[in-house]
Amino acid sequence: MRQAKLRTTQAAAPVRKRSRWLAVAHANSGVLFVLPAVLLFLVFGLYPVIYSFVLSFFRWNGFSGFSILPFACVAPTCSFVGFDNFKEFLFANPITAGMFRQAIWRDMFLLTTVTGGTIVLALPIALALNQGVRGQSLFRMLIMLPMVTAGIAVYYVWTFIYQPDGLLNSVLQMVGLGAIGAKQGWLGTSSLALPSVAVVLIWSSVPAAVIFYLAGLQTINAELYEAARLDGANSWHLLLHITWPLLLPITIIIVISTLNAIIQSSYQTIYLMTNGGPAGSTTTTGLMVFNYGFGDQRDLGVASAMAWMLFLALAVITMVNLRVFRSRT
Amino acid sequence: MPLARRNISSIVAFVLLALYALASCYPFLWMISAALKSNQEVLISRSLIPQVLRFDILTETWNKLEFWTYFVNSTVITLCSVVGIVFIYSLAGYGFAKTHFWGRDALFLGFVALLLIPSVTVLIPLVQLLRSLGFIGREATQFSTYSGVVLPIINGAGPLALFLFRNFFREMPHDLHDAARVDGCSEAGIYARIYLPLATPVIATVSILNIIGVWNAFIWPSIVINKDAWFTLPLKLKDLDLQLVTQWNVRMAGSLITLVPVIIVFLLLQRYYIRGLTAGAIKG
Repeated sequence: MRQAKLRTTQAAAPVRKRSRWLAVAHANSGVLFVLPAVLLFLVFGLYPVIYSFVLSFFRWNGFSGFSILPFACVAPTCSFVGFDNFKEFLFANPITAGMFRQAIWRDMFLLTTVTGGTIVLALPIALALNQGVRGQSLFRMLIMLPMVTAGIAVYYVWTFIYQPDGLLNSVLQMVGLGAIGAKQGWLGTSSLALPSVAVVLIWSSVPAAVIFYLAGLQTINAELYEAARLDGANSWHLLLHITWPLLLPITIIIVISTLNAIIQSSYQTIYLMTNGGPAGSTTTTGLMVFNYGFGDQRDLGVASAMAWMLFLALAVITMVNLRVFRSRT
Repeated sequence: MPLARRNISSIVAFVLLALYALASCYPFLWMISAALKSNQEVLISRSLIPQVLRFDILTETWNKLEFWTYFVNSTVITLCSVVGIVFIYSLAGYGFAKTHFWGRDALFLGFVALLLIPSVTVLIPLVQLLRSLGFIGREATQFSTYSGVVLPIINGAGPLALFLFRNFFREMPHDLHDAARVDGCSEAGIYARIYLPLATPVIATVSILNIIGVWNAFIWPSIVINKDAWFTLPLKLKDLDLQLVTQWNVRMAGSLITLVPVIIVFLLLQRYYIRGLTAGAIKG
């Protein structure tokens, strides 16, 4: 394609030049198919990303004096501050920096427990569904159900389950484990709130993982198992040496899509369930960015800087994940 | 496998499935049961079966939610988003899979990399952009506000939809394309008459994923929509809560009413959904 383009510029006769140009245009006409997507992306994808990057080096009140196209930053409502916004939450302001560091730990906690928990639950369920037990299509439907529920409606139910006089505490009481119940409610106790949120996130991400594993299981050749059985392998060996390695590509898909879902949308869950509390114990970086952008602590420059750190962290995590998994497959 | 062992393993499987199925739908059962109880009973009784069936809470909440008004709002936003997503990214997926143009693969990579950008990063710039374009603000109409909600949603759903469509089209035999070409069909005709109709599983997957996502979306619509009458159902549900101090039965009735439409759509499209999601993922 590139060669064709070069040749057109060298063409001598104007008529030929025109027809060559047409030929190039024709060969590239596929671009028309992607044009709507690209236009939308330029306006609502690329522009905001650049905007947020530039804004992370400015201090601005959010109302007037700052714009990107054409570029303008007018005092006193807007000023260039260099890396001050980044310094602010990385080390300069001890309170903010402390909060940010804790928020990162909470992110890490959610990322590991939710991906881990999802896989640990989803694989046995998929294996069980794959056995062809009685009523399996009903089971499959019931297990899929939490998929429809990334919304406020389900968070209300979970909030009730976690209430001081809610479902979870009374179930614990019923089976004689009342002592480990949370007196202030599961979302009302600092040490329990984040794990409780993690449970909700796991609950809603298991169904998709089950679907992926089921599809993967169906591609495994049954003869492999029979051969291994003849060689004297037990069920545990089969799982460890046949099923798990063959499902590794599926596991990668699940890990990446779960990580992505947590980074993209867990702040909405947390916003609706605890709004970061109690005492900030469920404030993740996503929610922190949101609070700096739209909440009481409104500081758009710091919010943008934080958002960019989040983006960098996610890019690194994804690349490490892909690298690690790729080297093992 | 010996019969006894086979039996034991299928019993274990059955018990496991039954337990998890219960855990996964218990919150829904509880939601339904609480919607039919008095607030007193919700707080005291843990039984799923109400002592007295009370349908008045449900009808009362239905009226308080002004269901039809907000149902229409939610439906308009959801439908416009989903139709936009399917149209724009099936076209683009076809373009990336079956046609050639300069810079094609680099551009595709750019789109997929977008998956990595946390949505919260672009929240502030998007609001500023919508304000400067006049989509929101004092002059805003319902149409401009809804466009402001929908367009960024479409773009946000882009990477995943594009990925699924492109993988699906790429797996399809290229002979189809060449044969149609020989018969004099244009590139657009090949897309519309041959490839798109065959892509039903992916269309179903992308639709269902986004119907659920857009219907339940809370933060983005709550930022953009600033007039009560234009709210979506989830926003109205949250609003309902402000007027009543935690009436759990009302909350649950409202939640149930809000969720029923998506649950119906989900059950209807479930089968296609599973096929489409896995077709794209396994081979990709």
